[in-house]
Amino acid sequence: MEEKEITVNIKKYNENDGAFWKSYKVKADRYTQMTEVLRRIKTEQDPSLSYRASCHMAVCGSCAMKINGVPSLACKTMAFKATDEKNEINLESMDYYKEVRDLIPDIDTFYDRMYKALPGLAADEEVIAGKAEQRMLPEEQKEVWQFQGCIYCGLCVSACPSVKEDEKFLGPAAHAKGYRYIADDRDTKKEERINTLMDSAWRCTSCYMCYEVCPQDVQPVIAIKKTKSYLNDYRGPETDVIAMARKHDNAILELINDTGKIKESSLYLKTFGLGEAIKDSVNMLRSGKIKYAFTKDNDVKNINEIKKIMGDKK
Amino acid sequence: MKVAYYPGCASHGIAKDVDIATQLIAKDLDLELMEVDDWNCCGGGFMDDKSEEIHVALNLRNLEKVKEMGFNKMATPCSVCLNSHRIASDKYEKNPELKENVDKRLKNADIEYDNSVDSEHFIWTLIRDVGIDNIKKHVKKPLKGIKIGTYYGCQLLRPYEVMGFESPFKPTSVMDLVAATGATPVSFPLKSACCGFPLMGSNPPVGLKMADNILGNARNNGAEMLVHPCSLCHLQLDVTQLKIKDQFKQDWTLPVLYITQLIGLSFGYTPGELGIGKITTEYLKERGFT
Repeated sequence: MEEKEITVNIKKYNENDGAFWKSYKVKADRYTQMTEVLRRIKTEQDPSLSYRASCHMAVCGSCAMKINGVPSLACKTMAFKATDEKNEINLESMDYYKEVRDLIPDIDTFYDRMYKALPGLAADEEVIAGKAEQRMLPEEQKEVWQFQGCIYCGLCVSACPSVKEDEKFLGPAAHAKGYRYIADDRDTKKEERINTLMDSAWRCTSCYMCYEVCPQDVQPVIAIKKTKSYLNDYRGPETDVIAMARKHDNAILELINDTGKIKESSLYLKTFGLGEAIKDSVNMLRSGKIKYAFTKDNDVKNINEIKKIMGDKK
Repeated sequence: MKVAYYPGCASHGIAKDVDIATQLIAKDLDLELMEVDDWNCCGGGFMDDKSEEIHVALNLRNLEKVKEMGFNKMATPCSVCLNSHRIASDKYEKNPELKENVDKRLKNADIEYDNSVDSEHFIWTLIRDVGIDNIKKHVKKPLKGIKIGTYYGCQLLRPYEVMGFESPFKPTSVMDLVAATGATPVSFPLKSACCGFPLMGSNPPVGLKMADNILGNARNNGAEMLVHPCSLCHLQLDVTQLKIKDQFKQDWTLPVLYITQLIGLSFGYTPGELGIGKITTEYLKERGFT
């Protein structure tokens, strides 16, 4: 099989020297996984190279790192496909987590967030005692199946822009796991779970970064959206975030239902109140944007169509 | 060439300048923008959190109008509207249970739709249908020497399996368009991170911080201005910029433009004609573009 020499640039790190880049030349063929490339470097060239890898089949989640800047599993990435036009590949530790050594980060914060979402089935006591049996219908299994595929690799949390700025956001993986049990009728802690996850869900931007980087196609952002859909019936702790989300959402729904469109100026007033609106108007005046705040667009003419779409199904 | 055009609520509201600039350059490029008849809000970014059925049905109502107008695709200048319509079509095609419920809602409103209309971003129309070379031919005032941070944001690129136009990690569309104007595109690490707008209705402090991160990251990588492709990024990065400046006590602003505003400048339009705000207009004057 045709072999080719590739250059692997690795961002190494240790406490004494800090971070520095080191390059290695490795022979690879079209079937060489990046975990195999790392093994060759470690055994043949640099025993000090530190990285995690275990299953080599995208199941254990150990080998998460940035490959050419993209959060990826090394085992799921073929060396040939990852090389650029100069036959080079750049490897770095994941973003966000504290560096330990080379490609190994400390992902304790990932686990902490995960545990907050109670990542296990809270079955009925009768079932645990062996006195009863709980069954799951195929339709129910379908709803939870995708969200239960998380392999705890930590890529989504490392790539999430909200996690970086907001300690109270539990992060994509914990939400996928949490929703997986919310949607599972065998679980007895549904309310407790929703109470833990609702505030956090409204700290997600829906930017789909987690969806894109997840090696198991878990689509955590969809779990967050599904959790948000419980807002109307939610009676748990009412945080500032939840209260604002309610106001904002109700205002949008009302606007679409009444006019078919969102009028930002009205939406702003309804969500933030007059005081904040006046403050921001001053800024808009300063930046020459105020004229657009009074732009009036037509309502949807056939508003009955909108009302019928949004109303109860017949 | 006639193009079905879905402006979206923001570009008919506070981001009106997005629409103004897009309409202007479309004329120069012989694109006749036909506004979608009696279009409605797509509910992008929040309606699917309420009800997937209503979200999909609202978007398909728009696409059905496009079909009635005799088109098989429509273009929008807003990445969120784009994402919303594409996700709606995708779900309608792939989820038979959801489709059944959406059909009931559409039938309620006497709407029949066969999922035959595609949605695309106006910059995809520019690149695919007009072509970069053709755009270059219309450049009268090359924006030589201006370093422009090329920002993509989230909704234009992700999820890739639904959006499909370019790599979500190595996008080039905005960069190619900026280069066509003669300006120098500047890539920066946060080019496809979220601008924070979606948090403005639930967690504004973090939303504003994200916007500050984008602006600062572009600036630190050498950008003197920032160009983006989305009406809602426009609200967040341009309209809200002075608030961000105050909040994080920055001693700088970064002039922000919607991509068609930048193209418009290179076509010889004035900042006033393109509806460009004060911060950017003043900077352009400083740099000799009036």
